[in-house]
Amino acid sequence: MVVAREVKNLDGMLLAPSGCELSERQIGILQAWGVEEIDVEASAEVAQAHDPLAQLPPEVLAQITADLRTRFWKPDDFGPVPAEIFKLMLLRQARRALQPKP
Amino acid sequence: MNPPTIKAMVQAVPRSLGSYGPVLAEIELALQSPQCSLTTIGDAIQKDPDLTARLLRLANSPFFGFANRLSTVAEAVSLLGIQQIQDMIVASSVLEQFKGVPDNLVNKESFWRHSLAVGITARLLAMERRLPKPDKFFVAGLLHDVGRLVLFSQAGDWAQKVFTCYQSEKILLREAEKKVLGYDHQQIAAELLQSWSYPAALVQAVAFHHTPNSSLSKMDAAVVHIADHLVNAMGIGSSGEQYVSPLDDKAWAVLGLDTEILGRLVENVDEQILAVEEAFLKK
Repeated sequence: MVVAREVKNLDGMLLAPSGCELSERQIGILQAWGVEEIDVEASAEVAQAHDPLAQLPPEVLAQITADLRTRFWKPDDFGPVPAEIFKLMLLRQARRALQPKP
Repeated sequence: MNPPTIKAMVQAVPRSLGSYGPVLAEIELALQSPQCSLTTIGDAIQKDPDLTARLLRLANSPFFGFANRLSTVAEAVSLLGIQQIQDMIVASSVLEQFKGVPDNLVNKESFWRHSLAVGITARLLAMERRLPKPDKFFVAGLLHDVGRLVLFSQAGDWAQKVFTCYQSEKILLREAEKKVLGYDHQQIAAELLQSWSYPAALVQAVAFHHTPNSSLSKMDAAVVHIADHLVNAMGIGSSGEQYVSPLDDKAWAVLGLDTEILGRLVENVDEQILAVEEAFLKK
């Protein structure tokens, strides 16, 4: 199992970095700190099944991406953080598009 | 004809705290007394039923996330703290103060939804970064575009010229402000908040929310800058700008957070905005 999101204690001490393979010893450390649950990476099949971008028809995804791009100022000049934010917004829009209409 | 000076516009804004003025004055007075207690403060607030309802709605919302339901104002005051209560009342009064802004220039509901969302996001970012007094960032976020309200309410004709320039030249609204007026809404807000004797760090955060690296309080300005960018990206309301304006990577570096937190942050903003809107905007 691979840790998906880093785990810190209340003082900010890193207990398990994201991306690390979880060993029995690390599980013991987390338990000793009272950590009851952490996020782990899903398997490729599960991730695919839960990825909203993969679930949308390609033409709908293309439309959502194009609409989002028109809202951002100079989307071709993005640095790393705005690029990450754009990706997040695309996911948010995709999730909304997949929600059943009331 | 020359555009109005910032000073002239700001001086024309009435300095009143609207209907919440008497409550704030009573709290100030109560705090000066050695016999002041939470009950005294609670009693002062409860004289205004509208304020009491808003306060309890907000105190019981996911914004604060208390496990137990708060049923009295005294409980809310003891858990939130007097400073935070005063901040929230002042913030509500600013909303009230600008209700006369003409509808043809800006959709007020959309403007306030944007401002509240930036307040919520700035507070969450400050909490994530473990900055002291994260609630002051809510106020800074809420007021970050107050300079535009001054322009819309005091110089509607010039605001119209700014929008015409913005649409015809396809530039950012802030650039259009500079082109038409020679200054932007950040500078107007700085003058207004200084004249209202707001704390220097809050003035800096608002006055440099588009240019955080020029601020004397880089961290405060960076928090509001990033919050504004995120809320624009999420499309929650608008203060007139239709584009998601550029994000300064240096501001993100000042904050020193991992981009991993962004997903959770966006989810929290989505969760809190409805409750906070309910407390501040609904009658």
